[in-house]
Amino acid sequence: MIALLRRPAYFVSRALEAMARRPRVALVATLTLAVALFVTGLFAAALRGAERLLGAWAGEVSISVYLDPGADLERAREAAADAAAGRRVEAVSAPEALRRFREALGPQGGLLDGVKPDLLPPSIEVSAPGIRLAEARALASRLAQVPGAREVDYGNAWLEKLERLLGRLRWAGAALFAALAAGAAVLVANTLRLGVFARREEIEIMRLVGATDLFVEAPFLIEGLLQGALGGSLAAVALLAVAAAAAPALAGATGLALARADLVPGSLVGALVGGGAALGLFSSALAVGRELRRR
Amino acid sequence: MVELFHVHKQYAGEAPALLDVTLGVEKGEFVFLTGPSGAGKSTLMRLVFCAEVATSGQLLVFGRNVAKLTPSQIPYLRRSIGVVFQDFKLLPDRTVAENVAFPLEVRGLPAREVRRKVEAILRSVGLELKAAKFPLSLSGGEQQRVAVARALVGDPALLLADEPTGNLDPERTLEVMDLLQAANARGTTVLVATHDRSLLERYKKRVVALERGRVVADGAEIRRAGRA
Repeated sequence: MIALLRRPAYFVSRALEAMARRPRVALVATLTLAVALFVTGLFAAALRGAERLLGAWAGEVSISVYLDPGADLERAREAAADAAAGRRVEAVSAPEALRRFREALGPQGGLLDGVKPDLLPPSIEVSAPGIRLAEARALASRLAQVPGAREVDYGNAWLEKLERLLGRLRWAGAALFAALAAGAAVLVANTLRLGVFARREEIEIMRLVGATDLFVEAPFLIEGLLQGALGGSLAAVALLAVAAAAAPALAGATGLALARADLVPGSLVGALVGGGAALGLFSSALAVGRELRRR
Repeated sequence: MVELFHVHKQYAGEAPALLDVTLGVEKGEFVFLTGPSGAGKSTLMRLVFCAEVATSGQLLVFGRNVAKLTPSQIPYLRRSIGVVFQDFKLLPDRTVAENVAFPLEVRGLPAREVRRKVEAILRSVGLELKAAKFPLSLSGGEQQRVAVARALVGDPALLLADEPTGNLDPERTLEVMDLLQAANARGTTVLVATHDRSLLERYKKRVVALERGRVVADGAEIRRAGRA
């Protein structure tokens, strides 16, 4: 490692020189890395889109606090606003609730003719976009303390289902992502091994003239790092192009305001470039280490 | 310089390559190692530059027991040993100068010093005008001179040459042998493996004869006995 730190320019120039001497091998390795990272990145973007979609559905959640018929609506609204700071809180009187119900029934609204205006209880409606199950539970228990509160409904069953679905999706996504990344690593390691194999004679001669293992390895590691970073950059560019092309169509189909950055955020671009460099470095170390141990 | 005590080398499933070899090579000596193919000459060379490990026995190089060297110490030992092979072992995609510079780059010498030493050694082997050529554009004799230059550029204390003239015609053979002799005259200990009897007769040096892994004769008298 000291040799590498002492002479970084020498090793970088040796790595660049080696790539220039065998451009095809370098190109194949870089493209393999790019394809492997693109597929992995595409999956990550799809996973992100799916999560975004489910998150948007979860955004429809609203919590209803049903009050006793004689409850002080304004006092209850103030207390609910305190309990759900930062969220939209609306007081719905019994007649207003009936009006909304009639409106919701549409042409069948006439069925409600003649019923008392206080048929439905007054309520406090709290809008809770994107709320998670645990948060919803905590908020519901706070809202249950609102003066005159009789029942709190936060769509428990729906939220629980959604939360489970998201949890499974995340696990399946993580497992698939890990499998894809492992597959990419094996593919890349084998491709880089070809490069090492093509230079086994050079390795043999280096060792013959007294090169330490690190001296032999350093240019290969730098090559792997550079090819990985380049492959990652290519994958990121391709992914950004795909996202830019697909975002409007996806937005139209789902009704979500989806932009390119929603599917491929900067962090994913960074992960592709950084991950590519790390993958190239790791795969090179594996390939050249195996060749050195073989001797 | 090199001492072997009852060295035995056995490859799995094969007859022993070396059997109870005891041998010493003094500093500044020029020694021919001779014998038919399969006698163990190359194995002995490979043991000396630590490409192989003896199955039993002791091998001292520069007074150090090579069996006790850690893998990380071996490269440093090799930097004091120059090696020349029958098949040259040059990198075809590097120029003559780049091939010769390799051992110096490994040692981390500054570029200017590498250039100076490479120019000097190429002059001494008569290849100063071929520095920018690639090995495959040279004749066999020239390629072997490049290999000798690479082996000598780091001023090794010990030079091992395994059948260095095996692929060369008689005239080129003498050129290469003269280079080895000149290196010996400058103080380098030289160990040459060969089965070419004419070399033993021409260069009046110590000869160690191997047969089926055993030392069967050691000394100048071998030439007269015609064992090679």
